[in-house]
Amino acid sequence: MKNPIKTLLMVSLTASIVTSVTQADTLFWSTQAKPVEESQAMRDQVLANAGQAVDYQPSDPGPWLTRLNAELEAGKGTIGLLGALHGDFTSMNPDNLVDLSSVDLGSADVNKTFTDLGMLGTSEQKYLPWMQATYIMAANKKALEHLPDGADINALSYDQLISWSKNMAEAAGEPKFGFPAGPKGLKHRFFQGYLYPSYTNSVVRKFASDEAVVAWEKFRELWSYTNPGSTNFSFMQEQLLSGDVWVAFDHTARLANAFNQQPDDFIAFPAPAGPTGRGFMPVIAGIAIPATAPDQVAAKELVAHMLKPETQIATLRATNFFPVVDVELPADMPAAVRISGAAIATMSGSADANPGLLPAGLGDQGGKFNQVFVDSFERIVLAKQDIRAVLDDQKKALQAIMEKSGAPCWAPDAPSEGACPVE
Amino acid sequence: MTLILCVWVLLPIYLLIVNSLSTPEEVIAFPKRFFPSFNVASLEFFAGFSGIVKALQSSIIVATITMVLSILIGAPAGYALSRFEFRGKTTFRVLILMTRAFPLPLLALPLAIMFIRTGLDDTMFGLALVHTMLALPFSVLITFSLFSGIPIELEEAAWTLGCNRVQAFTKVVFPLILPGITASAVFAFVISWNEVFAASVLTIENRTLTAFLLQSLDVSPMHLKFAGGFVLVMPALIFIFAVRKYLFSMWGIANR
Repeated sequence: MKNPIKTLLMVSLTASIVTSVTQADTLFWSTQAKPVEESQAMRDQVLANAGQAVDYQPSDPGPWLTRLNAELEAGKGTIGLLGALHGDFTSMNPDNLVDLSSVDLGSADVNKTFTDLGMLGTSEQKYLPWMQATYIMAANKKALEHLPDGADINALSYDQLISWSKNMAEAAGEPKFGFPAGPKGLKHRFFQGYLYPSYTNSVVRKFASDEAVVAWEKFRELWSYTNPGSTNFSFMQEQLLSGDVWVAFDHTARLANAFNQQPDDFIAFPAPAGPTGRGFMPVIAGIAIPATAPDQVAAKELVAHMLKPETQIATLRATNFFPVVDVELPADMPAAVRISGAAIATMSGSADANPGLLPAGLGDQGGKFNQVFVDSFERIVLAKQDIRAVLDDQKKALQAIMEKSGAPCWAPDAPSEGACPVE
Repeated sequence: MTLILCVWVLLPIYLLIVNSLSTPEEVIAFPKRFFPSFNVASLEFFAGFSGIVKALQSSIIVATITMVLSILIGAPAGYALSRFEFRGKTTFRVLILMTRAFPLPLLALPLAIMFIRTGLDDTMFGLALVHTMLALPFSVLITFSLFSGIPIELEEAAWTLGCNRVQAFTKVVFPLILPGITASAVFAFVISWNEVFAASVLTIENRTLTAFLLQSLDVSPMHLKFAGGFVLVMPALIFIFAVRKYLFSMWGIANR
């Protein structure tokens, strides 16, 4: 047994030394398009014709940031291009990102709102938008017969959603509404971008208002008709496909498989509305070049490639994230794109639409900001604590975060001088 | 009892295999089928997944280096702990355990900076060093108890018959503890095989299979989770199967 091991050790040592020398591919270091099928599609369909060799490596936000910080600190890097969510970039020091205003975007007409977000409060283009998504509702067609009388699926209110869920629970004998409250679920986005704007027309200012108490009461009611397994659900497409859940709220990319695998069984529709409108928020992913990128010219060429209209369409097919540049979508898009695209259009075009913006200016407090909403959810809904007491308590944490970061209010909150106040 | 233990270990592996050989529809269906439909589409996906063969190679190489290093360093330390009295012995034993007291996400940043500066970054050898550090406490403590289980009189007898210290070790003690060494080698191998965080921070081109797949799998659809799990588990199972006779002999089952 000894000799083969010796040989293997020699071989592996040699191999590890040899393989570590070469490589000039641009490393695309991303927190997005992580599922294996999506990363495969990114490599085969989006990056294959980039005009240069690209090594696409998706990873969890933890290792993503650690690696990046290590390279920045060491002053020497291998990462050529960063792909991440708006929130990931806001928590970084903007000085570590290269100015992208010199990138030749050609004919691509990039969304102005998103480009402005990419300045990260500086005068330079720190990141460029890469792709966008949002959160919508999805339902199994089986659920439609239980819709309450007079309810229009494209203009539901939260009250109607609650009675719908109640009807389904009674008909099926078990709760059939699903909510991504699992460890990797995006529940905090529902509270920040949907529930609060719909009930308080605010996220920060009226965090602990009487209207917010009503909102949480409504959500608690909805929760009583929600599949209790929801605290374990992170990608609602799975539970929709397995039939554990008939109606669900989630990120468009996390519903896509349900639409693609059984396009005839599922429909998409807008998020419900509350007293202050139909709150919803976008998800924006961006691309940036770290200051330590080994070949900035190649990286900038790759940025330009990612924003070409045809690349944006290929990206949509690969990831179910929508383009951030003006494009004419071809007719043969996957079912998920057609189905969710229509629902998004209905949602943003609805008379009571109340679009919010992503939290901005929070810097490294972004994670704590999310935690305030997650904690409130766990205490109010799971631990059944008194809503008023919990909100008054969490309000202090939120206030401290806003003051520490100095972030001004963003829509739907009214603009503020200085840090957004929690009233 | 044996039956329960067998089911305990084999049932998950069996379900993993059944589900990796099923179509996506069958995977989410309930009740589960007990016999697979031998649909290999999910597994084929991984066969064609770019970079997977290279990642598998890296995993095997890193795990092998880890295994060898942790035995080469761990066994002498275990021997010293069991045979010699020296000052600070207890402290030393606690210190060995302390290496496991710091979570990797905490260590990874300074390690990565140091690796980038020294050129160890993105090498399999560098990653194997980190994994060796993780595996060492186990190999030291396992070999320590192994050596302690072998009476010093056996060695003394060898000395009186003309062996020197080294010969007594290689001719008498080593054959006796070989199964135990194998066990601790298997441990080191598995620790390296399963480690994700350091691997995904410290390697890019030379990613191990676990780092390459695991972060993507937890957000992938169910049928690919099963197939990916299968791809991750099989090589490790094959390895353990290959060294089983050394393990069996440790538990007193006849050598086969």
